[in-house]
Amino acid sequence: MTLLPLISRRLLQLPGVLAGICVVTFMLLHLAPGDPARLLAGDRASAETIAAIRHQNGLDQPLWQQFITYVANLLAGDIGQSLRFQRPVSALIHQFMWPTLFLTGYVVLLAVPPTIMLAIASARRPGGVADQIIRVLGIAGLTIPVFWLAIMMSRFFGAGLGWFPVSGYGQGFFGHLHHLFLPALSTSIWLVPVLTQSLRAALIEKTTADFVTTARAQGAGEGEIFWRTILPNAVLPTLNLLGVMVAFLIGGTIIVETVYAVPGLGALMIGSLLGRDYYVVQGLTLTFALATVIITLVVDLLTAFIDPRVRL
Amino acid sequence: MTEEKNQPLLDVRELTVAFGHLAVVKGISFAVQPGEIIGIVGESGSGKSITCRALMGLLPGTANASGSVKLNGRQLLGLDEASWRSIRAPEMAMIFQNPASHLDPLKRIGQQIAEPMIRHQGIGRSEGQDRAVRLLEAVGIRDPELRARSYPHEFSGGMKQRAMIAAAIGCGPKLLIADEPTTALDVTVQARILTLLTKLNRERGLAIVLISHDLGVVADVCSRVVVMRHGEIVEQGKTDQIVNKPQHPYTKLLIDSQPGRRPAGAGSAGSAPARSPLLTIENLSVSFPGKRDLASGLRLKSAREFLALDGVNMQIAEGETVGIVGESGSGKSTLARAIIRQNGASGGAIRFDGQNVQALRGETLTRFCRSIQMVFQNPYDSLNPRMTVSEAIAEPIWRHGLADRRTAQRQADELLELVELPGILRDRKPRQLSGGQCQRVGLARALALKPQVLIADEITSALDVTTQAQILDLLTRLQRERALTLLYISHDLRVVSSFCQRVYVFKAGRIVESGPARQVLTKPRDPYTQELVESIGSLVPSPTLAL
Repeated sequence: MTLLPLISRRLLQLPGVLAGICVVTFMLLHLAPGDPARLLAGDRASAETIAAIRHQNGLDQPLWQQFITYVANLLAGDIGQSLRFQRPVSALIHQFMWPTLFLTGYVVLLAVPPTIMLAIASARRPGGVADQIIRVLGIAGLTIPVFWLAIMMSRFFGAGLGWFPVSGYGQGFFGHLHHLFLPALSTSIWLVPVLTQSLRAALIEKTTADFVTTARAQGAGEGEIFWRTILPNAVLPTLNLLGVMVAFLIGGTIIVETVYAVPGLGALMIGSLLGRDYYVVQGLTLTFALATVIITLVVDLLTAFIDPRVRL
Repeated sequence: MTEEKNQPLLDVRELTVAFGHLAVVKGISFAVQPGEIIGIVGESGSGKSITCRALMGLLPGTANASGSVKLNGRQLLGLDEASWRSIRAPEMAMIFQNPASHLDPLKRIGQQIAEPMIRHQGIGRSEGQDRAVRLLEAVGIRDPELRARSYPHEFSGGMKQRAMIAAAIGCGPKLLIADEPTTALDVTVQARILTLLTKLNRERGLAIVLISHDLGVVADVCSRVVVMRHGEIVEQGKTDQIVNKPQHPYTKLLIDSQPGRRPAGAGSAGSAPARSPLLTIENLSVSFPGKRDLASGLRLKSAREFLALDGVNMQIAEGETVGIVGESGSGKSTLARAIIRQNGASGGAIRFDGQNVQALRGETLTRFCRSIQMVFQNPYDSLNPRMTVSEAIAEPIWRHGLADRRTAQRQADELLELVELPGILRDRKPRQLSGGQCQRVGLARALALKPQVLIADEITSALDVTTQAQILDLLTRLQRERALTLLYISHDLRVVSSFCQRVYVFKAGRIVESGPARQVLTKPRDPYTQELVESIGSLVPSPTLAL
């Protein structure tokens, strides 16, 4: 395929984006209120101790020098030390990353098949009975707050029926599947209606497209027209929306992770923010930004794979 | 009439198509003999497109067709979907007006041509691919093997229509329904597609139903013509009979509206007046930056610039009517936009009354804007859908501070009268008007500022031929009464030469020929102009055809 030029072009854009991310994450720390040195030293530390700590951490240097040190450390893979845990931030993120990634993948797997089925059922007869029911259910799914749904489900399926554990991450692959089912389900219930509406609209639009008339005029059956012509043409906007959603989920599963006590990045973020553990917040911001960049890249490549016009 | 003994290939009797209670096709009857090319002519809304959809069984679910449509003696109306599918492509095929939107953008051309054959003839994928390549060659695509691997967006408009034709004839149908197959294409491309269709008709015995709004096109290639209006057939018969001895008044109107048939109006005014030029264009070049991205920037390659206009020289005297002809992409609209300062020039100058237009600032600029006004191609898009007709016309008057809003409204009413629109339309919104009425509103709005120069950019190309004739008459009258200098841009050499005193022919951003309209039409010197003139579907059948 002729995807190589596109890939190289996109990779060339990366350094600029990454430089931007570096600047923003660096400024994040220095523009935030509070003094990390004071935090590190504790409430009762003397002025000398704070000055010593500040010197030790290089916080008394001019801003540009600190930035250069920061970038140099980044390039060496060092994104700082957690003030609270007294461990490297990278190790912390590495530890907390897997539950979140697992959860995100789980949500996508749970959300995509019903999305396709519901959108097809809806778009087959717009305004029909199936369409109306799916729309009402979708609005319900969108409007019920995720945290409420999560609490209710953990009460009902977890505490009441005892089918699923209500907290934690579990051991091994199937343990993860078992433990994360309720969190993934409650997130999916919110995600599916969003994606369904997008796919439904695109499907309805493409159903009346001229090239569909052509296919019909060439004697193609309705099933063939749907799967080979309408669906591929309609799927792109939803694919892009899914990309945005996944990027959002990686940083945004905070509520679900908190309710179900999943040791993921969201939980780590909350803890670090509350504890003013700035280096961890900074590292997490960097991680989220990188994840967004990578996911956008993947979605763009998938889009180009489906649609030849994007490959120019 | 020996043909009547043979069974017609397609026999349509009393075909009626209705949406609810509204009949859009009202009991029409016609027949197509094997190997014949028959033309259906009519304006938009005459029901010709609905008729051909009904023939293919492609009507929307809300439409109801009754009557009889027989293909080789087999009744088609009332067939179930499966039977329809077995007929579409192997027995009859269809091509459409806009080839760009009728090809699937995600599939390779070869695959799209092969698909009907794979579906109906049970051949394999590679066999289908081979046949697709041969078909592409048959419809005149160069490098067919390479081109079969291309996607639709890599094809030009004419090539897309050729690919559509290749896909349609793949299964060897006896009948091809062509719904305005050349309307979206440039005239020279149009002529080539029509030649291809007649060649296929001759070589393969393919019967063709050619639907068009352009009687000139139909008269060129069809042996018989059906004229439709308001869902009814007003007249049908042999082509030369329809063209030379039309019986029905509507057919006569249609023929008289053909640009070539109109008495040369302003064009007869003869040589250009010897006054000093009002608008001078000196060596004008306009370029657009090529597709620029980071990668090419890093490779230190300057983005390739696209020269839309390349050293154009023109002189337009006061009161003159000057035509600009060329295909899409030839730079005509770029020139118009450069004159009204919407495109910056990369070289050369535009002088209006001796002043360089690009250098105007402040009050002189405002005055310049007032003295040059423009009317655009799409009558609906160029009007604000939320403004009523009189608001749209009055707006430039009060915006330029020529009058307060109340006086502007009164002047707008006078302008409505000037462009021959009834006063009851003044409170309508654009979507409640017909295309021709909208274009009159656009004209009135342009005239509101009492300009010296009026630029008309393809203002009639979205309109029916009879409406076009009316707008051109109006324009001629306005030009005479208001002493307008008119710059008329069109792809249609017939319109321009019947209407303008002088013509400039554009190709790829350059002027290839210029001169008095009659001379350019009758004695073209440049090969491209010659091709343009030859592409004109003339309504006057040549002697050989009439015999």
